[in-house]
Amino acid sequence: MKRIGLLSLLCSLILVLLILPAAGVMAQPKEIILGAALPITGGQSREGGYVKKAYELAIKEINDAGGIMVKQYNKKIPVKLIIYDDKSDNTTSVQLYEKLVTEDKVNVLLGGYGTPLITAHTVVAEKYRVPYVNGGGATGAIYERKMKYIFCLIASVGKLAHTLMDWIGGQQNEGNLKKPLRIALMGENTSHGKEFRQGVLDKAKAAPDRFQVVMDEPFELNLKDADPLLQKVKASNADIYLADARLADYTTMHRRYTELRLYHQVVSYGPRGAEKAARDALGPASDYIISCNWWHRDIPTASARTFRDKYEKAYNEPAEWFPATAYETVRVMAKAIEDAGTLDKTKIRDTLAKMDMKNSLVVGGRVWFKPNGQIENDYVILQNLPGEKVSLIYPKEIATAKAIVPIPKKQ
Amino acid sequence: MTIDIPALLVGAILLAGLYATMSYGLALIYGVMKIVNLAHAGVMMWAAYAVFVLIVNAGLNPFLAPLITVPVFFLLGMLLQRYVVRRVMFAPPISSLLLLFGIWLIMQNISYLGFTGDTRAITTKYTLMTFEFLGIAISINRLVVFCVGILALLVMRQFMGRTYMGKAIRATAQDGDASKLVGINTDRVMEIAFGLGIALASLAGSLMALIFAFDPDFGRSHLLKAFCIVVLGGLESMVGVALGSLVLAVAEALSVLWIMPALQDFVSFALLVIVLIVMPGGMMGLLAKLKKT
Repeated sequence: MKRIGLLSLLCSLILVLLILPAAGVMAQPKEIILGAALPITGGQSREGGYVKKAYELAIKEINDAGGIMVKQYNKKIPVKLIIYDDKSDNTTSVQLYEKLVTEDKVNVLLGGYGTPLITAHTVVAEKYRVPYVNGGGATGAIYERKMKYIFCLIASVGKLAHTLMDWIGGQQNEGNLKKPLRIALMGENTSHGKEFRQGVLDKAKAAPDRFQVVMDEPFELNLKDADPLLQKVKASNADIYLADARLADYTTMHRRYTELRLYHQVVSYGPRGAEKAARDALGPASDYIISCNWWHRDIPTASARTFRDKYEKAYNEPAEWFPATAYETVRVMAKAIEDAGTLDKTKIRDTLAKMDMKNSLVVGGRVWFKPNGQIENDYVILQNLPGEKVSLIYPKEIATAKAIVPIPKKQ
Repeated sequence: MTIDIPALLVGAILLAGLYATMSYGLALIYGVMKIVNLAHAGVMMWAAYAVFVLIVNAGLNPFLAPLITVPVFFLLGMLLQRYVVRRVMFAPPISSLLLLFGIWLIMQNISYLGFTGDTRAITTKYTLMTFEFLGIAISINRLVVFCVGILALLVMRQFMGRTYMGKAIRATAQDGDASKLVGINTDRVMEIAFGLGIALASLAGSLMALIFAFDPDFGRSHLLKAFCIVVLGGLESMVGVALGSLVLAVAEALSVLWIMPALQDFVSFALLVIVLIVMPGGMMGLLAKLKKT
């Protein structure tokens, strides 16, 4: 009996010794899989192309360094990136994120680009509880849906409007603009535009001695005729003109604005203004336009400069904000995995929620998320200057030039 | 807030020229072949890219570029009708709708491949150039587009009324079978009518590219507007299209006095519904009725 017992114990021991390493080998992943569906073709292909390049650059750097250190396995694990083309289509985007989770078995998800696509596909990440970080969907409404697995590296459009208004307030304090200022306000009829308008209205309501919104109009995307809208702007007799528009509408509107010989002491199209395509299309008419943005290549921090130099060397094109925040998205996700020390999705999510990353390339250098998952860092404000130059005018600590306000009247 | 109504009206009249130019081709093809050319938007978009290449890359004068694009697109339209559209001419209408929708999608995707989704715009020395007339700033670009719209109407009227081919097109539009019986080569007529429709769409695209920024999705919203205009004009009449364009442009412009500019499209589609219910013959039907009484 004693012998049988000893034999059973020995057999069990052998079995355990055989199974344990095998289980260890099986559980130890060969690679960490990151997945994303990006608008590589279709209406958002320009921005999607930037994001793809930035993701690939960041992944290459991680793999060149041996991968991501995962404490659970006590080793660096290389990273595999799967990118699909959602053709700028919401339905396709959702299907591809489903595929990434259910078929490709990704460990974590990286975001796409643009409010409509991100609004649609984040539902998939939340449904399957896969940690997701994006650097291209600012609209605050995306993050007000009480999702737990969704994180965003760019501040809300509402904050953009607040930053712009605070800066205008600063100009009033310096005596460059009068008090109160009459504001003509317009925004595209989307959640992006609504949030921008609401942000301006909030600030105006809070400081009626400073701001008076004399016109507030939404407009449809893909404007065919900006005349009626701009005639209203003209009739409003406003001192400053603030709008939120996409590139094509900004170009169409500002061409007509110039043809109608309108003038305002400050002109801004929200985040639009400094893009090369728009400056080519508008020429000197785009001089002195103010834009509020998530990043700029002249930010004088070491991390921003390092990224700028690496990106521009790799792709021979100026580093705009699209690739900058996308690049940082990968770095943030890699840090979350490393800090979590495991590939457990819930633990990675929890690490993201508690993240406080320093020396980031984002404005302010610090990555941390509000309870809704969106970052709350500062914006930079830029001003177009003659000769296709752009100056960084805000925040003061990193400004490269002083703002020219009121903007000079054009001849 | 006092809106400058004369300036608004001048802007609307100039816009009507653009609206008319982008709708003539659609009306012509529908009139002759009873086909709704959904590829119209694709043609406008391709023409925009064609003039972009000619003006920006080859340095051609912006107002001369259509002289190259229009004949090329005329030939393209003829070939499209001969080898593709003709096959579904007598099939149920859904066949031609789907076929032309498919062609539009193919055109869009080719543009995405060739030009990416970047927003493009053409800037020339005339861009943003204006002159003052009775205190109203008038854009040179828009004025030229308006004049070309009027010129296209006059040329088309002369062509339709005075040439054998024009008369043959009108005859085929009225009754294809009867036209065959009197010896008209209706296949050839349809080929030329389709080519002309495509050429007019390309003319519109070439001119619109001087005013608007564009990408491969360009033309979609303009196509919807063109549908409204063609229905408003009475489906088959060039003069009706011109009148429809004017009515629509003025209605949209004046609507801002009462409703928010974001609802401009509502004005177009409300007009479309009203016209379809109250006067299905459009402006031309209304004019004919008024003449009779």
